[in-house]
Amino acid sequence: MIEFRNVKKTYPNGTVALDGVNLRINDSEFVFIVGSSGAGKSTLIKLLLREEKVTEGRLIADEFDLTKLPNYKVPYYRRRLGVVFQDFRLFPNMTVYENVAFAMRVIGEPNKVIRRRVPSILNIVNLQDKYNCFPRELSGGEQQRVALARALANNPDTIIADEPTGNIDPKMSLEIMNLLVKIHKKGKTVIVVTHEKNLVDYFKQRVITIRDGKVVEDKIGGMF
Amino acid sequence: MRRYSITYFFGQSFRGLWRNGVMTLASVLVLMSCLIVMGSFAALVLNINFNLDSLDMLNKIVLTVDTDLSENETIELGEKIKTFQNVSEVIYTSKRQALEEMKELYSQNEETQNLLDDYDEFNHPFPAQFTVSYVNNEELQTLLFRLNELEGITDVSCYADIAATIENIKGTISFIFGWFMLILFVVSIFVIINTIKLAVFSRRQEISVMRYVGATGWFITLPFVLEGTLIGLFSSGIAFLIQWYLYNRVAGGIIGNTGGILQIIPFWDMGLNVGLAFLCVGVLTGIIGSSISLGKYLKA
Repeated sequence: MIEFRNVKKTYPNGTVALDGVNLRINDSEFVFIVGSSGAGKSTLIKLLLREEKVTEGRLIADEFDLTKLPNYKVPYYRRRLGVVFQDFRLFPNMTVYENVAFAMRVIGEPNKVIRRRVPSILNIVNLQDKYNCFPRELSGGEQQRVALARALANNPDTIIADEPTGNIDPKMSLEIMNLLVKIHKKGKTVIVVTHEKNLVDYFKQRVITIRDGKVVEDKIGGMF
Repeated sequence: MRRYSITYFFGQSFRGLWRNGVMTLASVLVLMSCLIVMGSFAALVLNINFNLDSLDMLNKIVLTVDTDLSENETIELGEKIKTFQNVSEVIYTSKRQALEEMKELYSQNEETQNLLDDYDEFNHPFPAQFTVSYVNNEELQTLLFRLNELEGITDVSCYADIAATIENIKGTISFIFGWFMLILFVVSIFVIINTIKLAVFSRRQEISVMRYVGATGWFITLPFVLEGTLIGLFSSGIAFLIQWYLYNRVAGGIIGNTGGILQIIPFWDMGLNVGLAFLCVGVLTGIIGSSISLGKYLKA
């Protein structure tokens, strides 16, 4: 469960990015966060990732109160999240397998666990045959699937996808969204920040619309 | 149970060093130069101290005994000097011992040795002496005044001024050495900071992903700190070998040119300390430099 209670975020230059946001995302929910550029979507994600701290109000994610979370506990909180970026952020000098294994290695998973888990994750994203390829040998959609596999590597409770289809063609976008829905059906909370009206309208999930730092609409089965 | 592979950390560190080869080389060269300068200054100070200690006559008063004085009178005179305030020890050197000492001192100098051979026990110009050790330098002038007043003493020689001058020189060298070292230390740290910053920059994407997947601060920073430490280790190792070579070469030259008057500490008498000091300064510089450049990555 993620809960924003009257959250306000003001940057040091005085810009008010979020102004009194109240929202609750339950476990295993699928949520689209939409809004125009500068609306506050990215700030909302940054607060959720605890990249930025809340200026006012409270932000709670399960047992973590992000308003008070000390820095040394942040990595342990982030292990419960899987993050997918618009630009994939894959390591070009690592194979698909190594890119996924990397996420497990940095949190100290034993090699035995990595060897067992990575193939099963690659299976979920349908990349089991490409485990030995380098990112440059993959299409944009496939690269995003690797990024998604990496996000799933540590079995997070929540997947946060920041414009996951921004760099790929419409057909591949649909494929990625279908994967996210598949992951959601496995019991994960999925939060997708997007501009893609067609995808939002097609999947008919909960849609939270942000404008000028405020939640202006929050509808289940909503439209962009 | 989570386990972190040590090979991973070392692998990342070596990769970083290799990737920024030019800056790594620059860091090693700068740190190595700093260590050699530090080692050379330290060797200089240690040798000055060593020579000063060996020239213990500088801290003593030498009294030349009147040749007309009988043996009994000389013994009485010695006993009287012992009663003076500020005197800790009085050593008597007879005329015969004085000649023997001169012969021993110039045993390596053939020309002087030939001259000394012309003298015998009863016929030589070296007078009997009292060597007086004193306790307090501040009361030296009073003691000198009293010794000068003594009957049966023809000359009072004291090298306290020279000793003080040498002490001053030693102090000045130590002062310059200290500041020089501090400056070199700071310069080395800055060079290492730049090297690590380059390494961090080249791996910024990797670091950002590490942070998002929940890598702890120390997991992210350890390879970079190791990188700085390795720079320190390489630098101190090479600096030690160069220092060893230079020291022996310079020491050989000094001994050859001064006919053995100046004494040089053998390198291996201080080698272990020099090596340890190099290792500590090198590794410390590496750790401090890399930690400073990684400050922001230690934050969440």
